[in-house]
Amino acid sequence: MTVLILTSEQDVTADMVVAELHLRSVPVMRLDPADVPGKAVLSADYAHGDFDGHLSVNGHVLSMGGLRSVWVRRPGEPAAHASDSSSWLTAETRQALYGMLYSAPTRWMNHPRNADQARYKPWQLRIAHLSGFAVPPTVITTAPRVAQQFAEEYRDVVVKSASGPPPGDPASALPTTLIGPGADFSTVAAGPALLQRYVPKSADIRLTCVGPRLFGARKRSAPGQVDGRYGDTGYAWGTTAVPDRIAKSVQEYLALSGLAYAAFDFAEDEDGLWWFLECNQAGQFGFVELETGQPIAEAVALWLAGRTGERRVPESRG
Amino acid sequence: MRPFTLNYARPRVLPAVVTPYRYDSSMQLNVLPDGRPAVSDRELLLAAGTTTSTAGSQTHFDD
Repeated sequence: MTVLILTSEQDVTADMVVAELHLRSVPVMRLDPADVPGKAVLSADYAHGDFDGHLSVNGHVLSMGGLRSVWVRRPGEPAAHASDSSSWLTAETRQALYGMLYSAPTRWMNHPRNADQARYKPWQLRIAHLSGFAVPPTVITTAPRVAQQFAEEYRDVVVKSASGPPPGDPASALPTTLIGPGADFSTVAAGPALLQRYVPKSADIRLTCVGPRLFGARKRSAPGQVDGRYGDTGYAWGTTAVPDRIAKSVQEYLALSGLAYAAFDFAEDEDGLWWFLECNQAGQFGFVELETGQPIAEAVALWLAGRTGERRVPESRG
Repeated sequence: MRPFTLNYARPRVLPAVVTPYRYDSSMQLNVLPDGRPAVSDRELLLAAGTTTSTAGSQTHFDD
């Protein structure tokens, strides 16, 4: 039974898990959907009331009957590397590849359906509420007056992008930023703005969840630091214990979202309270493992290597 | 009209790091020039920054 990893060749974080699978002699196929069609080949047949499918790449072959689990790490767009790439070819290839994989009874980390939903930051805030996390007051709006009122009510407010920096502009960053006094909110009408009450923090918390296993990491913040991803403060990530209340909320969040893997970001305030900021359904973990020594790659490998049921109906759980 | 959020964009310092490893399709992972897996050199991975939370931000929004 083989683990399928969907990711790019350049993804060295996936390497950490591949190495762990090799150590345990667990068969693995690494495939970038961008290489279909071309370097990678697929076939699926639906006949006589039965189904089977095969993938091959670089001499490695995988039958859907031998599929143990799927890890969706950093896959390219289907057909992105094809000589005649087009949006139509991408759509056709996505149908063929993911349609075949969805037909197989297997475990997903994470199922694309759950992953797609889990990427929505406003939805994350609602699930965080329902899970019992402390969530900073937040508004997302295209109404300048609403944005103005929010800023007046909470005074210290940050703006953050819901979807990340503009694609196709690698020289541009969009870190979470404090809005200064006297901001002009009129341009909120030109695009949704996500505003959140600023949490003065003593540390950033990264909580990586692999199935039921939790890996807490903490990095001290510099005075006034807003976005922990930017700026070298000289502080390093270290292991931290996960409070029971947080662990309970995490389990609730994972159950509601159907995620098997997640990387939570919290801001720890001066009283030690963890404020929910976001949950990255495929968040990076390599930097945490490298700095703290936490065996996250091993945990991912063990989860992927877990035995699947013998169910004939495709599973959709994460 | 430029959306409000983009008023807070700032130039990103692009790393000038050249990753000294290449993909080995047989092993299905990246290897160093001496044949060792790249993941065996943790200092190198940290220096390359390819495992950090912003490493995927330009192509994926899962930091």
